Amino acid sequence: MKRHSMSLVRLQQVTKSFGKVEVIPPLDLVIADKEFVVLVGPSGCGKTTTLRMIAGLEQATSGEIRIGDRDVTNLRPGLRNCSMVFQNYALYPHMTVAENIGYGMKVRGTSKADIETSVANAARILNLGAYLQRKPSALSGGQRQRVAIGRAIVRQPEVFLFDEPLSNLDAKLRIEMRTEIKLLHRRLKTTIVYVTHDQVEAMTMADRVVVMNQGRIEQAADPITLYESPKNLFVAAFIGAPSMNFIEGRLERDNGGLSFRAGNDVRVPIPAKRTQALTSAAGEEVVLGIRPEHTMIATGSFPTVPLKVADIEPLGPHTLAIGKTGTAPFTAQVAAGSPIRPDDIVNIPIDVERMHLFLKSTGEALGR
Amino acid sequence: MSVRNLKGNGRWWALAGCLLWLAFTFFPLYWVAITSFKSPLGVVGGPTYLPFVDFEPTLTAWRELLSGQRGQFYNTFMASTIIGLSASVIATAVGSMAAYALVRFTFEVKLLTGLIFVVVAFGGYLLGRHVAGFGQATSLIYAFIAALALAIGSSWIRLPGPILGNDDIVFWFVSQRMFPPIVAAFALFLMYTEMGKLGFKLVDTYTGLTFAYVAFSLPIVIWLMRDFFAALPIEVEEAAMVDNVPSWRIFFGIVVPMSKPGLIATFMITLAFVWNEFLFALFLTNSRWQTLPILVAGQNSQRGDEWWSISAAALVAIIPMVIMAGILSRLMRSGLLLGAIK
Repeated sequence: MKRHSMSLVRLQQVTKSFGKVEVIPPLDLVIADKEFVVLVGPSGCGKTTTLRMIAGLEQATSGEIRIGDRDVTNLRPGLRNCSMVFQNYALYPHMTVAENIGYGMKVRGTSKADIETSVANAARILNLGAYLQRKPSALSGGQRQRVAIGRAIVRQPEVFLFDEPLSNLDAKLRIEMRTEIKLLHRRLKTTIVYVTHDQVEAMTMADRVVVMNQGRIEQAADPITLYESPKNLFVAAFIGAPSMNFIEGRLERDNGGLSFRAGNDVRVPIPAKRTQALTSAAGEEVVLGIRPEHTMIATGSFPTVPLKVADIEPLGPHTLAIGKTGTAPFTAQVAAGSPIRPDDIVNIPIDVERMHLFLKSTGEALGR
Repeated sequence: MSVRNLKGNGRWWALAGCLLWLAFTFFPLYWVAITSFKSPLGVVGGPTYLPFVDFEPTLTAWRELLSGQRGQFYNTFMASTIIGLSASVIATAVGSMAAYALVRFTFEVKLLTGLIFVVVAFGGYLLGRHVAGFGQATSLIYAFIAALALAIGSSWIRLPGPILGNDDIVFWFVSQRMFPPIVAAFALFLMYTEMGKLGFKLVDTYTGLTFAYVAFSLPIVIWLMRDFFAALPIEVEEAAMVDNVPSWRIFFGIVVPMSKPGLIATFMITLAFVWNEFLFALFLTNSRWQTLPILVAGQNSQRGDEWWSISAAALVAIIPMVIMAGILSRLMRSGLLLGAIK
């Protein structure tokens, strides 16, 4: 296989408008060579549009897109040396699997022997050997998506583009294919840009996750950073399952330190080592964020919040208690076999070391 | 809802209704078929219904038809076949390319450009005819060339006024089928005779009739194929675009095979239209390229109501289309898109 020295993708001040509606305000993003980047966000956040602009299927309204050292902004899709895998597979229905995979090479005038070698190689990598002479209609969903990936591999592109490739597969197959695509990336060592709306997929596959919302990048970081220090309320709420709990309240000065207060029931003192960074926000309306998995503490004394339990979800390793604290919905993770029952009011401990505080007015994280 | 789901009496009523309708639609065909085997005396001597029972079938009408006593039968049959097939093939090919372009690309035509075309074409013709003193055909050709050149040229400059999109273009095509065909037939006949005076013989020629049929079939082809193409999943074409497959190859290698049922249906509809067309053939042909509908109609006007021979001629006009539809409907099976997506 031929190797490209650098296949870094750079978007500079790229915008996209459909008519008068600007769906992508100026966007900057650099994707490193051989990096596996996942664009994730709710539907309509501009992640697919961004991917399609890299592919050339959408023309950027302004700005510059570079792949490697080439400016591809005004190049048609075929000249960008990308391969794309679509959510609905987009196979050529009248061709066999082998013809599907080899069609691009055939069009480019590659010799028959070379096509056969490449197709056989792709079929071996993707376990499609037994199906090469079948039509796509005789394949299962997972096999069809593998054919689409095979078609992308033989192109030997500088960049692989995946547009929600696993969304049409059932849950079990999705997890298998997740691993397969990761293995493929390790094997081919090609830059991958991957779009999904599933944050679990994003977290499990990516070297770096780009969280997008309303056309903007909310945060771009490796999965653990996103999880441990989300930059704002949107990222905090989007990443993690079950998602983070939020309690609205106020940051108040308290016995020479700071505490978070919400109503009469909730008072969470801020640990001394974080007060320094939070002093400037004293008196402000803030939002406390705590993940369900950080509400179960084995030892020590911690501040608590009262939880009126509405439902219990025993998951095996642990149990989720779902309910409300004040008016805010709250999910707590409690030990498996916990005696808590619906309608109980229990005090849930908060791991102050791992809680997050956000400024209510802007949503920005405080004291990071 | 299927007849199978009905229970008891309802089922029998439905079946009886269907059979009644079948008899209703089949009877005229049956009547034509048996009449073509009746002797002249058998036709005028009151109704008879069953061959070998009511009347003794005879091949007189068929013998007369096939021996050429009733007009140039073979010649007409061949003319109908050649013109029908070539006009349908050309119209389907050109029309589906136009339809594809109208589905996948955005066109913007300024209303003013269209106005320029119309004004220059008509004005130029009148000027050439009455002021410069050119012949009709000459001034027509000059005016249209000038109008086309000006219209194309004007689309490069920024013109004020509304901009027409793809839907307006499609409407323009379809609108050509809204006026009565006789309007176009007269005009076309005049234009063809004028062209004939210039040395391009178009009346009663293969080129002339085929061209007229192609032009008249295009709106329907474009309109039908546009829906077929619009229903294709665009991702399949996008995948090919990313794979650097050139546009013409995407069209012929991927889009056409995927829309085969639609193309065949459209071809069939066009063929039926051209095969049965009467008015244009009446105006634009007189002997060499006369088509079957003219021959059938001529049976009555030339020799009076000799129903046995009219029936034989009508059957000859019907049977090829039935066979064609039978063959092509096998290819029209749906499900070709299966496996492209999801």
